[in-house]
Amino acid sequence: MSARLNAAARLNEPRPALVAEGFDGSPQRVNRQGVEVVREEWRVLDRWWTEEPVNRRYFEVVLESGQNVVVFRDDERGCWFSQRGA
Amino acid sequence: MIACILVPGFELQAALHDRPRLCLRAAALAPLPGTEPLLGPVTAAAEAAGVRSGMRLGEALATCPSLVLVERDALLVQTEWEQVIRRLEDNGFAVEPVEPGCLYFDTRGVERLYGGVAASLKRALAAVGSTWNATAGAADRRFAALAAAAIARPGQAVVVDDERTREFLAPLPLTLMPLEEGRRAELQDLGIKKIGQLAGLPGSAVAERLGPDGRRAWSLARAEDATKVTARTPATDLVERLEFPEAVANELTLRRALTALLDRILARPERGGREIRKVALSARLVGGGSWRRTMTLREPSGERGTLRAALGPKLAELPAPVLSLGLELLTLSESEGRQLALVPPEGEELETRLQEGLRQVRAHAGAGAVATVVEVAPWSRIPEQRALLVPRD
Repeated sequence: MSARLNAAARLNEPRPALVAEGFDGSPQRVNRQGVEVVREEWRVLDRWWTEEPVNRRYFEVVLESGQNVVVFRDDERGCWFSQRGA
Repeated sequence: MIACILVPGFELQAALHDRPRLCLRAAALAPLPGTEPLLGPVTAAAEAAGVRSGMRLGEALATCPSLVLVERDALLVQTEWEQVIRRLEDNGFAVEPVEPGCLYFDTRGVERLYGGVAASLKRALAAVGSTWNATAGAADRRFAALAAAAIARPGQAVVVDDERTREFLAPLPLTLMPLEEGRRAELQDLGIKKIGQLAGLPGSAVAERLGPDGRRAWSLARAEDATKVTARTPATDLVERLEFPEAVANELTLRRALTALLDRILARPERGGREIRKVALSARLVGGGSWRRTMTLREPSGERGTLRAALGPKLAELPAPVLSLGLELLTLSESEGRQLALVPPEGEELETRLQEGLRQVRAHAGAGAVATVVEVAPWSRIPEQRALLVPRD
């Protein structure tokens, strides 16, 4: 989040992440760090009745550094993001 | 509409104000000591000799051996810029200064006063003064206003029609985008040279390749950035300066001078007994340079001893003997006194203290630095839709 806000901003906005995925679509490397373990996986399908449907496959992973990160693949846009508060 | 006033190379123009003959020669603003040796703004004669702003010092001197390097004068720049802002404020413009040479204001408040957007911009340019070669631009988005001012000629104003912002931005070069040089080069290698070409790319691809900065530039290029103008509160004009007959480097003398300055400024009737929240200490250095430090006090104070203890250590940071020392009160508290508590505060008093703390943070970090988390849809399965950060200004 930037230090200054001029208008209301969303909390926990997704941030683009660099993810290398395995054959089953699960993340193998996140932001150039290897994934030690995938702790949890879930899917969010929402707003399919609108023009901006949400179709995300979330993974909670532990990286080599011991850091816990939640990443998701946005199947609508075909790219990966990391997110807090998920 | 949002208007932008640009003064290209403001720091160089300010430094050349008392040396007008240098304006006609090849001159450039010298790099800051201890930073990468890159040139600041350059004069037209230097540009004609092949010297560009941002060029390495060695390369510039090899290209133009007669190049004159002008030392940066932070105090002079600050003073001149403050005068420009005050002239605009005196004419009714509520401005948001971004950096010396660039400011924004909302034209809605002055359109009826001056008879339209174009007339307001003309008035603003007249208030800035013809010596600065300022340009003006207005559009419904900040970035478009900046781009309009960047392409305008000195003394000219460019107004972009509300519905044609994207069309206006499309043919402009990528150099106007606030992007890192590496990112810009990467885009140019991919054949993206105009803002319109960037706007035409898919947002997800830009975000994936260029990260958050690229994504922001993409939304600027598509005229989707809705950032509004946050006008500053006009500053208080409480400044005291002490000139020395000869250069002074002795810390004891400087501390005595600081005490004298504090006495004079605390006695000023304009202060009206209010306490000091933010203060600036400045000095004119021997050899032509200047020095300035701003400081936000942990608690507002009007006591000479407290202020002296807070500002005294700053004098040790002076890089050279000084010819004059200045003290400026930047922000004052709203109330005149404080009642100390015998029992721990609670309820309304706790709230008052919290508000005071928030005011302190704002004084230090600027408007928009304090925000509240407002839950809007806590049940949502989409994390970013659960809460908003709302500025508390």
